[in-house]
Amino acid sequence: MTHPALLDPDRIAMVAKGVSAIVASRNAGLRPSVMRAVGSHIRADGGRVTVFLRRSQSVQLLRDIESTGQIAVVFSEPSTHRTLQLKAPQAQVRPAVPDDLPQLQAYLRSMQNEVGQVGYGPAYVAAMLAAPLADLVAVEFTPTAAFDQTPGPRAGQPVKPLQP
Amino acid sequence: MSAISLHAIRPCLEGAIPAVMSTCSPDGTPNVAYISQVVYVDAGHVALSYQFFNKTRQNILSNPWASVLVLDPVTARFYRLHLHYQHTETAGPVFESMRAQLAGIASHTGMAGVFELRGADIYAVEHIDEVPGEGLDAPAPRPGLLHALRLCGERLARCTALDSLLQTTLGALQEHLGIRHAMVLMLDPSAQRLYTVASCGYRTSGVGSEIQLGHGVIGVAAREQTPVRISHMTHAALYSHAIRTSLTEAHHAGAALPGMDIPYPGLAQPHSQIAVPIISAGHLLGVLFAESPLDLQFNFEDEDMLVAIAGQLGAAIDLLQATTDSPEVASPAPAAPVVSGAPLRIRHFAANDSVFINDDYLIKGVAGAIFWKLLRDNASQGRVDFSNRELRLDPMIRLPDVADNLEARLLLLQRRLQEHCPHVRIEKTGRGRFRLCLERPIVLEDMPA
Repeated sequence: MTHPALLDPDRIAMVAKGVSAIVASRNAGLRPSVMRAVGSHIRADGGRVTVFLRRSQSVQLLRDIESTGQIAVVFSEPSTHRTLQLKAPQAQVRPAVPDDLPQLQAYLRSMQNEVGQVGYGPAYVAAMLAAPLADLVAVEFTPTAAFDQTPGPRAGQPVKPLQP
Repeated sequence: MSAISLHAIRPCLEGAIPAVMSTCSPDGTPNVAYISQVVYVDAGHVALSYQFFNKTRQNILSNPWASVLVLDPVTARFYRLHLHYQHTETAGPVFESMRAQLAGIASHTGMAGVFELRGADIYAVEHIDEVPGEGLDAPAPRPGLLHALRLCGERLARCTALDSLLQTTLGALQEHLGIRHAMVLMLDPSAQRLYTVASCGYRTSGVGSEIQLGHGVIGVAAREQTPVRISHMTHAALYSHAIRTSLTEAHHAGAALPGMDIPYPGLAQPHSQIAVPIISAGHLLGVLFAESPLDLQFNFEDEDMLVAIAGQLGAAIDLLQATTDSPEVASPAPAAPVVSGAPLRIRHFAANDSVFINDDYLIKGVAGAIFWKLLRDNASQGRVDFSNRELRLDPMIRLPDVADNLEARLLLLQRRLQEHCPHVRIEKTGRGRFRLCLERPIVLEDMPA
């Protein structure tokens, strides 16, 4: 409650509906790692974000997050290119649980709709986001920085925190 | 460790789905961003588009490691490229072909004007991860591509004259590769222009229409001597073909010469385009160009095919040019055509060797000078039979010493006459020999510069 809210309701809503989410970190030698999330969730006040990754697809990335805590996630709406990047220095990894499944299913449906608008069918999106529970982990973080990354010369501008 | 090669993931490098790239700043903050293009350069390198000076760019200049995730547009399988930044190119073939592609992507995604390539960042590929996942079945490989190439090659190899060579090439593209709209343009090195010598699939042949080197998909492919391929309709002015160079030239000639602009034949609304330079013995001869009203019609395999065909075409053009002068006896003259009807008024403007027949523009430049020589010799000496060799030696025609493209210019003249003045014809009578056939009386007017 002491933190001013980082994200305005519009940006929270964009993340909440389920859009493309790409997760990055780095190792001790500053080598970057990257993978697409198969699901995401944002708390209603924008103060806590969860991204779901497949362990088998994200070996280096998860090792990096666990060892450095560093995370950057870019959220993008395919049909409009509206893009937001969140960063945090202390992300935590936990196993995914059956209670996470409704969020993953909602995410898949939203992505099938979003990606469908740019020409890829539901089967394609389902293959892209296939997420067996046994292979899943959740990565949670409190964003400490946000950047508007909608393509263009202004991309990369920090999002100004809302005043409480 | 992974054994997968960059070549094997070329479908992911077609720009169909944006790639994402992670970098890390010196203070240890990771960054992740979308990138418009990951382009295959060679087996060990890719080029990424540099469009803005942003966090990614800042990071890469101080910490050259990058991790890029690409997605196969058909199988939905991911591959991760571990890259090391080498240098940035702001000119040259890789840059220009990326710039053209980017203009296509930008206009397709409604972002023309936002996307402008500032550089092609070249990265060494350290290794590639094949990311596990379910994925979809890979499509069956396109069957018979190599066989199609063989059929094209066999047909080209049987051609004995430039005319049939070009027609055969366009016919082979249509029958074996399903390419319905195509043209061949030859380079005029002294004018730094390309002129259309053969086309298929268009409402008008457009033979004789010109494109300036560096203009449009065709002009860029020629100037940079690199294939240029666009998968989505582009509105970018740089790549459109509303080019009217002939008008400005007429203006410079100081004469009022209306209608010298031969319309470029291309599609009004192309969605896919590919231009491949025709090169032989290190020299640019021209461009083989194909287009389609549909998106995504030409992939890297089509590019490979067209480059292979253009290679054989180039060698064949060169060979035919070199062997056209063999002294062969002209076929016996057929009965002279009956000359009758109203006289044709043929005017020649010395400033640019343009020729008009009854006020209609026919041709200019070297082909115009050739035509004027034939007509003059016919009027003064009654000659009808000519050889390529004497044209090469005639100082009035001013053929360039190297790569004179005489055959191509004669073909251009022959075609223009077929389309615009059927009463005057050029007929081949043997290798390197031809005949001027007049069916109407002619009146010549030379307009000095």
